[in-house]
Amino acid sequence: MTNRLLFRGLFSKGLARTLMGQALAFAIALALGAIIILLIDESPVAVFLTLMRGAFGDTEKIAGTLLQTTPILICGIAACIALRGGMFNVGIEGQLFLGGFAAAWVGFAFSLPPVLHVLAAMTLAVVAGALWVAIPAFFRVRFGTDEVVSTILANYIATLLTSYLTIFLFKRPGGWSETPPILPSAYLPELFSFSRLNIGLLIGLALAVGVAAFFRWTSAGYAVTMVGSAPKFAEYGGVNVRRVGFGVLLVSGAVGGLAGGVETLGVHHRFMEGFAPGFGFDGLIAALLANGSPIGTIFTALFFGALRAGSLLLEVDTTASREIITVIQALIILAVSADLMMRRRGDRTGERRWKF
Amino acid sequence: MSAVHGSQLYFNRRHERAPRIQPEVRRRLSTYVSSLSCVNHRLSSPASVCFMDFAVDLTGITKRFGAFTANDSINLTVRRGEIHAIIGENGAGKTTLMNILFGLLQPDAGSIAIGGKTMLIDSPAVAIAEGLGMVHQHFKLVPSLTVADNIFLGMEIRKNGLIDRAAQVERTRFLSEKFGLRVDPQERVAGLSVGIEQRIEILKVLARNARTIILDEPTAVLTPQESHDLFQTLRGFVDDGMTVIFISHHLEEVMAVSDTVTVLRDGRVVATKAKSALTKRELVRLMVGRDISFDRRPRTRNDGAVALNVTDLWARDDRWLPALKSVSLTVSSGEIVGIAGVAGNGQTELAEVLAGLRPASNGSVQLHGHDILDRTPAEIRNRGLAHVPGDRMVRGVDRDATLSANMLMGRQKKKPFARHGVIDWAAVHEAMRALIQRYDIRARGPKDPARSLSGGNIQKVVLAREFTAGGDVLLIDQPTRGVDIGAQEAIHDEIMRQRADGRAILLISTQLDELKALADRILVMFDGRIMGSVDGAEMDEDAIGLMMAGINPADMTEAT
Repeated sequence: MTNRLLFRGLFSKGLARTLMGQALAFAIALALGAIIILLIDESPVAVFLTLMRGAFGDTEKIAGTLLQTTPILICGIAACIALRGGMFNVGIEGQLFLGGFAAAWVGFAFSLPPVLHVLAAMTLAVVAGALWVAIPAFFRVRFGTDEVVSTILANYIATLLTSYLTIFLFKRPGGWSETPPILPSAYLPELFSFSRLNIGLLIGLALAVGVAAFFRWTSAGYAVTMVGSAPKFAEYGGVNVRRVGFGVLLVSGAVGGLAGGVETLGVHHRFMEGFAPGFGFDGLIAALLANGSPIGTIFTALFFGALRAGSLLLEVDTTASREIITVIQALIILAVSADLMMRRRGDRTGERRWKF
Repeated sequence: MSAVHGSQLYFNRRHERAPRIQPEVRRRLSTYVSSLSCVNHRLSSPASVCFMDFAVDLTGITKRFGAFTANDSINLTVRRGEIHAIIGENGAGKTTLMNILFGLLQPDAGSIAIGGKTMLIDSPAVAIAEGLGMVHQHFKLVPSLTVADNIFLGMEIRKNGLIDRAAQVERTRFLSEKFGLRVDPQERVAGLSVGIEQRIEILKVLARNARTIILDEPTAVLTPQESHDLFQTLRGFVDDGMTVIFISHHLEEVMAVSDTVTVLRDGRVVATKAKSALTKRELVRLMVGRDISFDRRPRTRNDGAVALNVTDLWARDDRWLPALKSVSLTVSSGEIVGIAGVAGNGQTELAEVLAGLRPASNGSVQLHGHDILDRTPAEIRNRGLAHVPGDRMVRGVDRDATLSANMLMGRQKKKPFARHGVIDWAAVHEAMRALIQRYDIRARGPKDPARSLSGGNIQKVVLAREFTAGGDVLLIDQPTRGVDIGAQEAIHDEIMRQRADGRAILLISTQLDELKALADRILVMFDGRIMGSVDGAEMDEDAIGLMMAGINPADMTEAT
């Protein structure tokens, strides 16, 4: 009893407690991951070292990690925007796919001068993402439909819709189910000669800083934050809660679409089935891990990007399959979300009151 | 000083074995004893002490949190079969003391005796085994389980290794009937009212065979009717030979229900007295340390123009039932119009409709001649209405945000706090710092989170924000609910200053004392209607009481 009180006393200070909680969650997840690696007769130390080497071993590997980080970061920012306004956009994956397809379409179907071509493709990607989330967003603010469910379901429609468009309407001649390649005028400029890493990363970083500044220093950002953290208070203070909720989802979807555009124009230069699997979900989780902070999301996205990049070497150098990183990722999510839930419930009235 | 001395004297003698007395005799004895003043009794006849039967005896309890001393060598003796109120302002150390008694905290010094036995209570399990039971301020129930399941959670009645639900329901029903705490054992807790949730909490304690029940601020969440029922139940416990320790900062209910009162201030016992030997005024002085007046505030008459005009207003509540039925009223500049009534008779809905937070079904509301009905809260604010909400924790503040962020609400786009949509936080902090000074808000600075403040200080933040919002019509719902008496006085001062400045004030309160002190006119609401109007200066409490119960006093006079 005394120990628990002592423990609570030590960690009751906001930030310290958040960080400690997350660090503890990470440690537990890694320990559990180590046990699973042991179960498949592989050394946890070797696996972790290989992962590190695969992610940060040399400049090319670091560039590879950053390449994986880019879409996760942009999707993470999309999630942060929604979370700040009290909305859960789980449909970023779908917005990413539609944005990716829209950008590809502009890229191969039109011929435009270089910079303009990129801008046009990006714009359509953004619009596609925003329009796609507008449907669940409308039902959310008009009828109170749970946006978690509707945006999750919208993902399936979006991925299958882009598959349909790719296979039946815009398939390039030949074997693969993918669109024709986009014109070089629509390529995003690459940063280094040795990697496909492109200015998408800079777009993501600028977005993170910009969104953080928006929430920190603008009147509109303040209103959105208040709607997210205390909706009744915001309503009382004269903020139009419904309009903010709708707007926040729309912008979140737009950024999700942007992530798809960046992935198409910067990396694949075409749209193909399953072109960016799981980036939308990884982004959402990165944002949750960072507690909705755009700056924090830069680091969590980097972590997930490193896991993804590192796993490529994992299959070459060890007997562990790359799916092991999915397991570790899942464990981290479990541990961290458990910590988040505990804090949410614990802080309401100062006393813990269970809700089901 | 002498009281402390007396208790120490007693403490030495207590180790002599008290003769065993038959329960019936004991009960009569304790009734007799409780009619005497505790302090006098201890000093004048210490010899008879050995016959007395003490439920709880705390000696020299001291508890420090860092540099802060929450309890400073507290002596507390609770006789068996009495209702012992522990009263004090927020932060006086009441809850800390009870948590020590219940084994949730360990004292730095002092000893605890239960039923005459000195013991170490290092966990609630020990306390429960000794017959103590605690009903916390915030209930700890599982909404998805039934009433009976909740009561027996952790001590399930088992048969062949399985939970014997039938027996649990049976036992719950038995306890419920025995103590007059009506509940349906098989109902799910989710959706039950707070009053019933509290009954379940009490039944939980009874099911664990508690003989001494500690209630922490039990009436904070109850309606007056529910509080009344609770007091009857507590009386029943005492008649049954049980002991009740009752923590409160509400004078009225302490005067209504307790036998003995212990007053805490700044972690020390200032007095332990029989209720009969105390007056309300005296109690306030003991609690706050100075005289506080609840008399009517002196005032000069202001003949202002009508600022707020409500005509034939109808609205529905959350369950879509009519909550306002043809409400009409006017408030003039420089006037305080009070709305009295038992909570839940439409007052909250009235405030919400006026502030634009709830749609009206019919009627008109004019602010300075402009129709504001069904406008957005932002438009109504811009027209000059400031609103202090009744539920300040939900509506009035974001508890996680800083004081500055709370102060900014409603003016985040306005100069000097923002320019071209960019917030000037330095200006916001500066303005908040000034408000902290001016309204005597106990906070370290504008960047403190609202949650770190006490209820009274949070209320001051809300008042400060709304009074400086530029509105000349103030809608104030429950200005001092849950606020310390000392802070209450300051808030009343501020409201009177606003009146003197020519603001039109609509003041909703469930506390008649408050309306009596402040209002120029008092309107009484019952079942969504305005029952009648009473002049604040010559307030007829009987008439108001009748109207609060839905009876028109005029009808009464005609009948007689």
